[in-house]
Amino acid sequence: MLFLLIGAVALLLGAAASLVLRQNRARVGASIGAQVVASVFTLVAVAPVFATGTPLSAEIAWSYPVGTIAFRVDALSAFFLAWSLPLTLLGTIYAGTYLRPDLSGGRNPGSHVALLDLLSLSFLLIYAAQDALVFLLGWEVAAVCAWLLVIWSYRSQKIRFAAFNYLVSTHVGLFVIAAAFMTLRAQAHSMDFAAFGASLSTPGALRDVTFGLLCVAFALKSGFFPFHTWVPRAESAAPAHVSALMSGVIHKAGLFGFLRFTLLLGVPEEWMGWTILAFGATSAVVGALFTTTQRDLKRLLGYSSTENVGIAAMGFGVGYLGLTWHRGELVALGFGAGLLHILNHALFKCLLFYGAGAVSRGADTVDLEHLGGLARAMPRTAALFLIGGLATAGLPPLNGFASEFLLYAALLRSGASGNAAAALIAFGACLAFSGAVSAFAVVRAFGVAFLGTPRAPLAAVPADPGWGMLAPMALHAVAIALLGLVPTLGLALVTPALRLFGPPGTSEAPAAALLTNVGTANLLLAAGIAVPVAVGLWLARRGTVEARAPIPTWGCGYPAATPRMQVTATSFAAPFARLFAAWIPPVVKRVLPQGYFPAGPGLLRSHPADPVEDRIFEGLGEGEKRVTDAFGRVSAEPRAVFAVGLVMLVVLAYLAGGTA
Amino acid sequence: MTAAAVLAQAVLLGGLAPVLPGVVTRTKSWWAGRRGAPVLQPAYDLVKLMRKRAVYSATTTALFRVAPWTVLGATVVASLVVPLAGPALVSFPGDVVFFAYAWGLARAAMMLGALDTGSPFEGMAASREATFSTLLEPALFLLAGGVGLVGDVDTLGAMVQVRGHDATGWLVWALSVVTLTVLVQVEAARLPVDDPTTHLELTMVHEGMILDHSGPDLAALQYAAGLKLATGLALLAALFVPVGLPPWAAGLATAAGCLALAVGLGTVESLTARLRMRAVPAYVLVALFAAGAAVLASAWHGNGGAL
Repeated sequence: MLFLLIGAVALLLGAAASLVLRQNRARVGASIGAQVVASVFTLVAVAPVFATGTPLSAEIAWSYPVGTIAFRVDALSAFFLAWSLPLTLLGTIYAGTYLRPDLSGGRNPGSHVALLDLLSLSFLLIYAAQDALVFLLGWEVAAVCAWLLVIWSYRSQKIRFAAFNYLVSTHVGLFVIAAAFMTLRAQAHSMDFAAFGASLSTPGALRDVTFGLLCVAFALKSGFFPFHTWVPRAESAAPAHVSALMSGVIHKAGLFGFLRFTLLLGVPEEWMGWTILAFGATSAVVGALFTTTQRDLKRLLGYSSTENVGIAAMGFGVGYLGLTWHRGELVALGFGAGLLHILNHALFKCLLFYGAGAVSRGADTVDLEHLGGLARAMPRTAALFLIGGLATAGLPPLNGFASEFLLYAALLRSGASGNAAAALIAFGACLAFSGAVSAFAVVRAFGVAFLGTPRAPLAAVPADPGWGMLAPMALHAVAIALLGLVPTLGLALVTPALRLFGPPGTSEAPAAALLTNVGTANLLLAAGIAVPVAVGLWLARRGTVEARAPIPTWGCGYPAATPRMQVTATSFAAPFARLFAAWIPPVVKRVLPQGYFPAGPGLLRSHPADPVEDRIFEGLGEGEKRVTDAFGRVSAEPRAVFAVGLVMLVVLAYLAGGTA
Repeated sequence: MTAAAVLAQAVLLGGLAPVLPGVVTRTKSWWAGRRGAPVLQPAYDLVKLMRKRAVYSATTTALFRVAPWTVLGATVVASLVVPLAGPALVSFPGDVVFFAYAWGLARAAMMLGALDTGSPFEGMAASREATFSTLLEPALFLLAGGVGLVGDVDTLGAMVQVRGHDATGWLVWALSVVTLTVLVQVEAARLPVDDPTTHLELTMVHEGMILDHSGPDLAALQYAAGLKLATGLALLAALFVPVGLPPWAAGLATAAGCLALAVGLGTVESLTARLRMRAVPAYVLVALFAAGAAVLASAWHGNGGAL
């Protein structure tokens, strides 16, 4: 615990130093230095928890009305802490180079990098809290930091709106979570999580309602469908490292909260497992569908986050069913798959966002319709982005495959019988669909942005970014390959946390047995590809004779091909989008030429719409109108409306609990 | 597993790969009343291509040179999971997932290679391939789940040996034949989904993606395509091979089954027209529904005949 405290103090000092120092280099350096200290001390602090599984705990006496504040770092906290801080550190290193063009324009990075330090501090609070109040404090610090980080380019109205959208969404979630905590507090007469456990593990309507509230709150934080609409908005508006950290690290706090309360839940009801599974599968499928038509590379990656948290939640759903059915094997496979996918997703999604940041710095746009041929100008970025992309699609031999394999194993061979087994297999097919769709999206995004020739003249001459950006990306890529080729290593990281979920004696052995095979198969695949590739390259070198003139791509007999004839982001997605037009409707604006000799130019513009967001805004507009009509002046005071809503949630929870 | 068994499997599948496309072509010539090219013509083509030099478009990057060999490597590794004579060379619980994803990796590499040329036709073909695969993948997993449930098995090698003990069991078996047939037709780019002998780039899928490859690179892709056909047909043939044969007999029976199925494919190709591009997803849905029905049937089986 002392080490964690040192880390927290270092982060505070680093943040303060970033604010007061005079030189940009020193400001960024102070922030990075503090994070290095904090990461090292955190790793030292949690190492014994990994080794022995014995939790660290501490209590701090506080004045009335809070009383004592309890901190407790168990294996679950240790798992989340062990990668959250180092990944934030890599993000800050990336930021140092990424922000450089803005800094030479006279911007002061002090507050930005200080916020990154505070973000790390919020992880310490959230993951180590044993007290609902501290948990909420960390939760709020993370939300506000993320909001302030998103509006780095605050002069753009679009970015301010996206960030405000995020701020509102995350606070709606805060109200729901506060309602859940107040309900629990009223039962337990304490804000301590351990005391919550007593009431949360008693079956009944109250538990069901509280569980529902918690799920909604954490789903909002992690960007599950249909609460995802703020994710692509915020992540396309934020600087690349902030998008990466939001998607890869900050949103994971929602899943952590869910797991933290799962530990307090005791044996869950069967409907809980099925609900989470269905909820996760919907996010995985719909999130993947949305990735196929996006034009904005960062928006695309944002939707992919929704897909991936959905996959993790599917794992937890299977784990819940395992707990209900007292099947240790399903507990190990389900929670193992979910936890491992959280780690895997953090690695590849950060890498992809960093790649997108390199593209936006290199080519000055992330609109796929304007990009093309970047692999020639930015070969290193292209290679790293491709590794992240293939991992997102869950393709072997990379890390995404390991976690998805565990989930498939649990779903296809659940050991359940009859209808339950059939339902689980159907969920397996959903996972297969989302996997194939995300492979589609990755090939489309990479193919259109990096391959072929530029589709429109670029504003800037693209080039690979400096080592400050490439080195963090390369580290992520190495970790992705390592966790893919040696998946038991990833399992070893999640094992202590995994053991908490089942009854005492729960073992990770079923998952370990499967992943040992996957590791061998992945190595075989890697070798099986490396050998032919080496032979092929040797054959090509042997036969190469310098051509007299550059040879063009074969135009199929058409002599006047232009880059604008290439397949575009929209046309690549067209056959697929036509099949799923109900889910991914395009918004098309066209002005067709009139008459035989049209006077003005025609126009055709299409961009993908998010039907959920459209309906939410429609519904809000409608709802606001009704509230205004009904209450006259109430909607002029939004705080009052929220307070009324909060009280109503608590009352409803009580009514539901009281009638049980 | 003895060294002889390993060798026999490798020779069987590796040898069938260049032969089966030739058998299909020969069958089509026979139906058309022509004598046709020798059965080994695809093998001669491979030898010829290996001796040629590759030509690379100025638009392409290193990815274009790596992609064909990645396709070949991934297809070869995927084929190791398939049982031909006795147990498969690589077999572990859930290997069917690995099999599907190794094919997925090969598919992704092929599409990326196609997009690397910047050719509109290749891009169009890649887009179609990607679209079909999104519908086909769930079918394969549904089938694996259904067959695994009814036969209580978890490896691909054991799944193809599941036979019916009662009406539901045979229903699941029949549905797996239907699903795998559509799967082979889509994955190996055969009629009525894709016409391997089409001369019009606008209508190509698999051929479209390899338009710009040449020399040894094209040979690698052609061989991988043949191996994919051989792998798919071997899976289908294994459904018809009696369970419990000694390895050598099972190997011979599977090989004979592959040849017979190739003749069947040629016959289908001679008698049917290609589907319109927009109708192909509907055809792929046949596989999805057949596999879904297999899952329902196996659940019904597990419930002891009650719903």
